Order: sequence, then C-alpha cells, then structure tokens
Amino acid sequence: MTGWRREKCRSGYCTLWKCWLIPSLAPGRRGIVMDGNKLEQLFAKFKEQAEAISARVYRVHDSSAAGRQLKNIIKELNIKKIAAAKSELVSDCLKAIKSQDVVVHTSDLRQHSEDAELGLSEMDMAIAETGTLAQDSTALDQRLVSTLPPVHVALVRIDRQVDKFVDAVDYFNEQDLLPGYIAFISGPSRTADIERVLTIGVHGPEQLYIIFVDQAGGETCE
Amino acid sequence: MSDKQQIKRNIEKALANENLRGALGRFGNDYVGARERAYTGKDFQELRDRIAAVKGDAAARMEELARRFTESAQARGAKVFRAGTAQDAKDYIKNLAQEKGATKIVKSKSMATEEIHLNEYLGRQGLDSVETDLGEWILQLCGQKPSHMVMPAIHMTRDEVADIFSKETTQELSADIPKLVGVARKQLRKKFLAADIGISGANIAVAETGTLVIVTNEGNARLTTTLPPVHVAVVGLEKLVDVFTGVKSIIEALPRSATGQKITSYITMITGPTPAAYPDGTVQEKELHIILLDNGRTEMQADPVFKEALQCIRCASCLNVCPVFQLLGGHVYGHIYTGGIGTILTAFFNGFQEAGELQNLCLGCERCKRFCPGKIDIPKLIRELRSRVVEKGGLPGGQKFVLEKVLPNRKLFHRLIKAGQLGQKPFQKGARIRHLPMFLAGLTEGRSLPVIADKAFRDQARNLSVPEGSSKESTPDSKEKVGFFAGCLTDFVYPQLGQAAYKVLKHLNREMVFPAGQTCCGVPAVLMGVRESAVQLAQQNIEAFEQAGVDAVVTCCPSCAQALKERYMELLETDPAWHERAKALAGKVQHVTAYVADKSGDGSSLRLKQTGGRVTYHDSCHMKGCLGITEEPRQLLAAAGLELAEMEGSDLCCGFGGSYSVKFPSISRQILDKKLHSMEAANAATVALDCPGCKLQISGGLDSRGKELPVKHTVEILAENL
Ligand code: SF4
Repeated sequence: MTGWRREKCRSGYCTLWKCWLIPSLAPGRRGIVMDGNKLEQLFAKFKEQAEAISARVYRVHDSSAAGRQLKNIIKELNIKKIAAAKSELVSDCLKAIKSQDVVVHTSDLRQHSEDAELGLSEMDMAIAETGTLAQDSTALDQRLVSTLPPVHVALVRIDRQVDKFVDAVDYFNEQDLLPGYIAFISGPSRTADIERVLTIGVHGPEQLYIIFVDQAGGETCE
Repeated sequence: MSDKQQIKRNIEKALANENLRGALGRFGNDYVGARERAYTGKDFQELRDRIAAVKGDAAARMEELARRFTESAQARGAKVFRAGTAQDAKDYIKNLAQEKGATKIVKSKSMATEEIHLNEYLGRQGLDSVETDLGEWILQLCGQKPSHMVMPAIHMTRDEVADIFSKETTQELSADIPKLVGVARKQLRKKFLAADIGISGANIAVAETGTLVIVTNEGNARLTTTLPPVHVAVVGLEKLVDVFTGVKSIIEALPRSATGQKITSYITMITGPTPAAYPDGTVQEKELHIILLDNGRTEMQADPVFKEALQCIRCASCLNVCPVFQLLGGHVYGHIYTGGIGTILTAFFNGFQEAGELQNLCLGCERCKRFCPGKIDIPKLIRELRSRVVEKGGLPGGQKFVLEKVLPNRKLFHRLIKAGQLGQKPFQKGARIRHLPMFLAGLTEGRSLPVIADKAFRDQARNLSVPEGSSKESTPDSKEKVGFFAGCLTDFVYPQLGQAAYKVLKHLNREMVFPAGQTCCGVPAVLMGVRESAVQLAQQNIEAFEQAGVDAVVTCCPSCAQALKERYMELLETDPAWHERAKALAGKVQHVTAYVADKSGDGSSLRLKQTGGRVTYHDSCHMKGCLGITEEPRQLLAAAGLELAEMEGSDLCCGFGGSYSVKFPSISRQILDKKLHSMEAANAATVALDCPGCKLQISGGLDSRGKELPVKHTVEILAENL
C-alpha cells in the first residue's frame, strides 16, 4: 500500500513533504474521479456552488490558455505585481505573461506578498459539493500567496475533483503522514460581523478566481 | 448586588436595547430557513447520531485521547502542555512570551481563551494582544463582551462601529459597512505582519494524528497561524476526537448549524509545525505550542449526567432558536458561554452558584433540543442543574410547602384548588398560570390567577354519558378502552376539553374512562427541581392507570403527554420495577389529536361538518418539539373543511413556562407579543392549538388586548363539527 508513493514526484514545490501528495493523486486513487461524464457533472456542480459563494470559475483547455485567462484578469484589474507559488502548472501558465505588463515574483514571497496585488497558486483538489478548493499548504509560499494579496487566482487540474468534503478527508487520511497544513478554501474571505451584513474580503482575498485546466501537460491523468 | 438582582438588571437593559432585539430577532427568523437550505440533501438525524457517537466516545475516553494526542503532536514536532486550570494556561503563555522576548500578539477567535480571560491577563503583563476576528476586535476596542458565541458583536450598529473605528484611527469614518471592514483589514494587517506570536483556538483536535482543525470565514486564523514564527493553540479537552476521519461529521454540521453555510470560507488542518518566515528573513520551522485546557472539563466528564454536554461543537444553534436568547442576547448571561448550553458550561467552568440563577432563564420550551447537532438533551441538563441547585439551596418556604407537601397529597391538593375556585372573583380576566400547582405556591400576583371551572372535569367525569347527536358506528376494533389523563389545566380550568375528547372518542366508538386516582403530571415539580415530589406523582399516576386496565391513554396536553411518555422513565430510572411500569404506561400514551387522527384516517371517518372559514394553527413547543406532531392537527382541521392560514413562526413559543411569567414578566410579555402579532397577521377567524397551557396564555393575551379571536383546542373544533 505504501512504497509507490515515493516513487514519482513532479510537483517540486512542496519543500517538506515532497513526493507524497501529488503521486497519490494519480489516476485510480480513491476519491479522484476519472470517468468523463462524472467529471463533467462534478465540474458543473462545483461551478454552481463556488459561484454561489462569490468565486469566479473558468475552464480552459491547457496551461497556455490558462495564461491567457490570467492575462485577462491582470488587465481587467490593472494588476502590476504578482506573487506566485511555484508549481509546474503555475510556471507554464506564467509563460504567457509578458514582463512589461506586470512584475512576477516567485521567491522571497514573505516580502513580496505583502504588496502584491495578485497571488497565484495551484490547488490540489476541488470539492464539488461545496465549491471548495483543497491544498497541501505546508510550504509557506503556498499560504502567503493565498492569504495576503487581495486577489487570489487558483489553478486546478480538471481531473482533481472529488464529490464531497468527506471524500477529501478520506483522501488525506489515506496518506502515510498527514500534510502539516491542509487548507480548504471556499470562496473569498467573508464576514458578517457588523449588523450581519455579508461583506467580502476582510482578512484574506477579496476576490477568488478559479481556473480549471483540462490538459495540464506533464504527467497528466488521461 | 446579588446574582439575582444583577440578572434582573441585565434583563431590563437588554430589553431596552432595540438594536440588539432587532438584530437577534431578524437573525432568529432568517436562521431557521438558511440552516434548512444548507442541510438540503443531508440526513440531519443520521449526522447528529454520528456526531454524538464520535464526541460521546471521545468524552468517555478523554484522558486516554489527551495522552494519545500529546504523543502524536509531539511526534510531529509540536510542544504540548496540559493546563489543569485557567491560571496554568495563562502562566504558560506569559512565560513563553518572556522567553521569546515577544511583545506583540495576534489572536484569532477562540472561546477557550475568552473563557480564561486571556486578553485581560496578557494586557496586565504589558503584552499587546490583539483580537483579529472583526467582531472580537470591535469589542476589544470598546471594552465590551461578546453577546453571541458565533457573532460576538451582533448587538452593535454600524454607527457605533464607525465611532469606535474613528477613535482608533483618529479620522472621521462614515458608517459604511464595506468601508469599515476595509479599515479593519488595513489596521489588522499591520498587526499580523508585526506579530511575534499568534494565538488561536481549535474546533477539533485529533488524537490519532495530533491535528488541529480550525473553521473560520474571515481568514484571520490562516494569517495567525502562518505569519508569526510562534503559534500557540489553546484547546479545551472536549475538542478531542479519536481518529482523523472523526472530523467529517463535525465539519459537515458545524457551518450548517452555526450560520446556515454549507461550508465556511476556510478550514485549516494543522499537524505539527510548518515553515514560517523569521524576522531575519530566513524560512524555518515555526514553534507550535498546544495547550490542552482542562478547567473543569474532567469534572464534567466524571459526572454521569453532565458529561453529555461535552458533545457540544459550539455551533450556537441552541441560542439562535431560543426565544429568550432572541430577546435578550448573551450579555444577560454574564459569561462567555451563553444560552442553555452556556448555563451548563458556566456551571462547570465558573461554578454552580453562578449558573444557579441563570438556569431560571430557561422557559422549558425545548426547542433547542431539536436543533442540536451534538444531540445533547439541553433541557434535561437544565432540569438536572435546577434540581441540584434546589437540593443544595432549597426553595422559598411557600413553594417548598406546596411542592413537597401538598402536591404529592392528591386529595389535599385537589381540595385546595377547589377552594381557590371559591375565592376567585367572578369574570376573572387574563388567566395566566400554565402549571396550575404554581398558583398555590404563592408564585402568582392577584391578576394572574387562573379561572378555575365551577366543576372540575374529575367531578363531571363521574357521570359522563353518550353525548347527544352522536351516532354509534361499529368498527372492527370497537370498544377499545381509552383512559383519559386530564392534567391540572384540563381538569380544573378547561373541563370542556375533556368533554370534547369524550364526544369525539365516543364517535369513534371508543370507551373513555377517567381513572380518579390520577393527579398532576409532575412537570411543575420537575421544572422547579423538586424531584422527590415528581417521583411520587409519577407513581400515583402509573398506579391509577394500571388499575383502570386501559388499552390506550390520551391527554389534551402535550406537556403531560411528554411527562407520561418520557419523563417518568427518567424519574424512575434507578428503580427497575417502577421503571418497567413506567415503560408500560409510556407505550400507551398519545396526545388525543394524534390518537384521533390515527384512528379516524386523518378525520375522514369522522364525517365532519364542513363549516369553512380560515384557521391558523399554533404549534405548541412540546407538541412539535417533543412529541413531533405537526401534520395530524392540520389534517384534522382540513377534514373539518377549514382553510389553513399559516402564521409566520407557527412553532415559536408563546412565552409561557411554568412560573416563568411571574419570575420574568417582561420577557414573557414580549415573547407573547411577537406571537400574537404573527397570529393576527394570518388573518384567520380562529386560532387552533393543542395545548391547554398555550390556550390559556394566548387567549389571555388576546383578551387583555381587547381582541376577539377564539382560541380552540383541535379536539374542541372536532367536537363542534361532529
Ligand atoms: S449544545 Fe448543541 S446546539 Fe448548542 S452550541 Fe452545542 S452543539 Fe450547538
């Protein structure tokens, strides 16, 4: 049951538990859906749920299309500075961004996330039932880019969907060692503490963009 | 000032606070719908069974899990400290801050740290400890206390918040909520970035893995646990669960029950230290300190009755649906944990003395019980608290005499009630005592005396005959012998309910008998905490019905029905022989309306006259909440050709509970006002209900306001339409 987990790693971003999380997301693992129909159903459900809690959901064909989508967001919001937590998908996506448009930081993120206008990262899983993203956020950078900047753009591979929150718990439970910091994110940060009026963006991001990528490249899960 | 006076003063203050009532009232109304929507597709009963199992098991093995948690968390690199008392926990944090040379602390919302008054303490040590949850920060800035477990500043208006923030930022701010939230973001962001230590609580702690689970919406917990290089989590022992998968049911229920959300914006699961940025620019593992707080929890766990309270997941739904809380908010309770469950927790964390007065605030409507995802029988715990307080402190003389001496002596008790009838003025208005024995206990003011009937039902019952105009039908199961349990109100105030029941049952070809040995059901004694008397009454009633040899027992009063069905077994738990007899009786008891609906095919075989007209139905707390009867009366009313005009909040309490209206008249009046208001808005010709206590309260209320709206028990309406 174990053994194989350490065999391959392609994430590269996870400094502490490297190699554990991503391979176990490989095809056929429990909780990760492979069937095409089911995948479409889950996506439709996810989109509906996530949009109901003020996230914006897109779906693109590959990483360069994700880059173009990101560019649109940058333009629309007039973003000048990005803090990005490294992953292969994130790097591929960033290739579409020209340096004259915007400054992109991928290191010293503690400092750069403070005033970056947009944080970019790849999430590990999408939960349809509640429109929730899940991530092994053990690496500090992953947390910085999704907490400090006012806009968070999250990339997710389309085949990383599960139906229910409890499936995600089962998934993490099956790992030999739980990641040090698991983050579940559902929509932007919100509060209703003043007169119960729902207000978006109190401490975390005010806007959450979620881009699903069909063909992420690399060791995909076809 | 005594606790009692303090509470009374707090009540008056709360009732005078329009903001508070507006906000809580609106929330209370929206909450139920939002919660229900969030639970769509989920089986709440099944879910709460799972939670009760997970939490109940964890509570039973608290020490074992605490040890296991310590080992697992340490194996992952965390430091775990077991704090026996509040002071231990505070000292640990103070010493840690000193050792680290830390002065700046950010905190994310945590009940446990509020319970131990951590902020005040750290402040006195010269440490700057900032609450970062928006509501908590507002309160910290103006020196107030939370009024709700989940929405701490629900009692404040945007104008007040604008004033507070203006002072803090020394600029003139307008009362624009998004702008105010923006100001908080900016101010608190600076604090986060500069903090040396982050302090959080946890919603769940997993023994198997040493994991802390934190559920929030604002994202402040994520910043608190990410930015400072030291993280301290203060976790009550009741947060422990055995295995990681145990978090499932709790997380499924918590946001849904707390705020009507399917999920909160953030759920964070932390296992061991993770990398953090240190002031020198390096990234290293942070320090994670977990304080497991006892502070009364082991004592609670050792208590055979109160250990159930450890199943609480702090969702606050019991507050949100509580009619008293909706009026008063949490400040009245004077402690961090508020409402019914808060009263119990206060007893253990702060002392029984303080909780003793607070438990009086409970109306006994039992609404909370239906909503609790931890499946805690909160009303039962309150009753237990009450009887322990009475055991210790006793009752005032008059009440003591009546409850301990008069009530268990059936003949004396009934003679005295009849004597009361002679003494009452003719045409008495505004009858207001739900549990009749209370009026003998000297708890009433003159105007509140109930109108006692000229002839009690027990005297009328001696010569019950076949009422005129009823036809005799022969059904296969004819001549089932049905015992009628009157209860004090039907017996002495509304004997016509007994007559109506008789007529309807006769029509269904049932033989109705009235065992004369029956007496008060015992609810008042239970509610007043006089268990001994309640036990005697239970035994008298069980005997009376055994001797009558009946096949079924019906009553017009849902509170009596619940007493006979559930309470007697609880009261006689320790006596196996009596417990068996109580169980045999319980199996036969039904509310008369449910019985009739059942035996008449929802009224169809009664062939009722179709009178037409609009009727609005009030769901009595004990009818809907305890007996779970809602559809049957509506079906029967429809069978009588009546058009049902639902009122808003048909299941909200009418504001009466035993001696409540006398102890807290202002609360009772306001709850009644709300009820009458929605009743009138339904624009019906009749109010139907199924509880003589509610009938007394509501008709009394309408009457004293000069309203002529008839209030009838379902069985009365049926009898009229035969
Ligand atoms: S007692 Fe039940 S309803 Fe009340 S806060 Fe606890 S879990 Fe929620």
